[in-house]
Amino acid sequence: MPTDQAELNSEQVLRRDIAWETYMTTKLITGTSLQLLRRYDKKSENDRAPLLDNDGPSYIHVFISILRDIQKEETVEYVLALIDEMLTANPKRALLFHDKSLADDDIYEPFLRLLWKGSWFIQEKSSKILTLIVSARPKQNGRTNGATDSKKKITTSDDVLKGLVEWLCIQLKKPSHPSRSIPASVNCLATLLKESVVRSSFVQADGVKLLVPLISPASTQQSIQILYETCLCVWLLSYYEPAIEYLATSRALPRLLEVVKGSTKEKVVRLIVLTFKNLLAKGSFGAQMVDLGLPQIVQSLKAQAWSDEDLLDTLNHLEEGLKDNIKKLSSFDKYKQEVLLGHLDWSPMHKDPIFWRDNITNFEENDFQYHPAGRIIVTDLKAKERVMKLMNHENAENKN
Amino acid sequence: MNDADVSKQIQQMVAFIRQEAEEKANEISVSAEEEFNIHKMQMVDTDKKKIKQEYERKTKQVEVKKKIEYSMQLNASRIKVLQAQDDVVVAMKESARKELLNVSSNRRTYKDLVHSLILQGLLRLREPSVVLRCREIDVTLVEGVLEEAKKAYVAKTKLSSPKIDIDRKEYLPAPPNNNDPHRPSCSGGIVLASQDGKIVFENTLDARLDVIYRNKLPTIRKTLYR
Repeated sequence: MPTDQAELNSEQVLRRDIAWETYMTTKLITGTSLQLLRRYDKKSENDRAPLLDNDGPSYIHVFISILRDIQKEETVEYVLALIDEMLTANPKRALLFHDKSLADDDIYEPFLRLLWKGSWFIQEKSSKILTLIVSARPKQNGRTNGATDSKKKITTSDDVLKGLVEWLCIQLKKPSHPSRSIPASVNCLATLLKESVVRSSFVQADGVKLLVPLISPASTQQSIQILYETCLCVWLLSYYEPAIEYLATSRALPRLLEVVKGSTKEKVVRLIVLTFKNLLAKGSFGAQMVDLGLPQIVQSLKAQAWSDEDLLDTLNHLEEGLKDNIKKLSSFDKYKQEVLLGHLDWSPMHKDPIFWRDNITNFEENDFQYHPAGRIIVTDLKAKERVMKLMNHENAENKN
Repeated sequence: MNDADVSKQIQQMVAFIRQEAEEKANEISVSAEEEFNIHKMQMVDTDKKKIKQEYERKTKQVEVKKKIEYSMQLNASRIKVLQAQDDVVVAMKESARKELLNVSSNRRTYKDLVHSLILQGLLRLREPSVVLRCREIDVTLVEGVLEEAKKAYVAKTKLSSPKIDIDRKEYLPAPPNNNDPHRPSCSGGIVLASQDGKIVFENTLDARLDVIYRNKLPTIRKTLYR
């Protein structure tokens, strides 16, 4: 790819002069379209705003038609840049795409198609715009706004979401662009992962493990932003049960801890702490967090002067939750774990008569599931007699 | 730094602050939405459970009701059957009773019968002195067989001939008729009593029918309702 393509940005694209008249003569655009383009093109935001406020959908229709009917890369890039500019100035304009007057237009199709071909500029802009448009769709009972007319075969939002997730996962795995792919993809995902449909297909496409490597300490402004958005994705996923399993098996937790230890950026810390809060109650995360030393990290985080009160609240909440976990861990469960792992170590807890007294009943409850297992392992280690002796010894103490 | 630079820097700072604010706003919005979803799911679950329990309770209620209904119906039917059976048996007795009238209408056989009835009574009582009661219309007939009965008794028992007084003060009621079915009636036969009235032997046709009926009831039922 030529280097100027890689560096192509909107500013450069928008400096181009597109020969709209020629398109009209060749009947690729209508006379009305030309009129609207003349009013809109090369104008300032102040001039454009009223146009869009009054007749937004018509302009959208023009843009969509061009993208649908015209293949010339320069023009496509130009129109994409226009749309991007329009949405950046006011993201609410994404709603215009869902105006009833555009019901017959397939608003998604051009962008979805352009994801897979053309320059990186086209792909990046298409993905960004598509994300904004599909996220702005009016939701009726959580169902998709597809065409009820099966003859027309209009792209449904489900199709869009599926296609986007597919493209984004590929970008994360095999970036089309050496430096821009990942930031752009993460940015899109941070918006899309708010929806449970997206979470579901993302997890199914094994996307979680693609995000994990991106969790690493960052120092430059750009990398911090990518880190923030990655953490945003992880946090969003932590609300989704199936994703949590993936997070557990990947090395997400240690990486998050690394980052939160060293980061000075409040928003990054904020997100990670929120993620911990979500994970605390699930599965073995609590135990893992304690093992990896999170309680101490929380302490040191609390000592730092953050300005966000929500962050402080969440840290306190974490602290409480972790304390509970520690209490639980010093109990039967950890013993069970140790027995099963064959690591019957004489930690201080095991010498505690109270521990034994409380947990004899637990042994019985579990139908001696672990007791026999323990016996087997312990016999293996030839420590059975020692243990039995000690147990009786303890029990005698207890009886006193 | 000239104005343009300053202005640009300010713009950058504004943009930065705005971005940070929007990011935080986004996080708040997401948190709120997710918490709402979790809450809603919990509430839906609780209510679903409640409704399920309610439904199970109601289903059980209906089942119990059905069982009770069935049991009641079964009982009612059983009683109906028993009642019908009873009715048939009673009807049998009634028609038998009606037949009794014919007995007394045949003078010759009735006379022999009365003789036997008196004899049977004498043998049962074994009293030297008895009172005999009969229907008013039978008086003549009874007087006619009295001596023979006494003789038969003596022959059988070798005892002395008993004294038989016919009670002319009080007679057995008249035979039944359709005009007044509820008045006490007698279809025939006699009643014998010891002189002091302490031992009474009812040998009317009606009494005999009762006895037979009672004795034969099990057999009757067996035959009818096998």
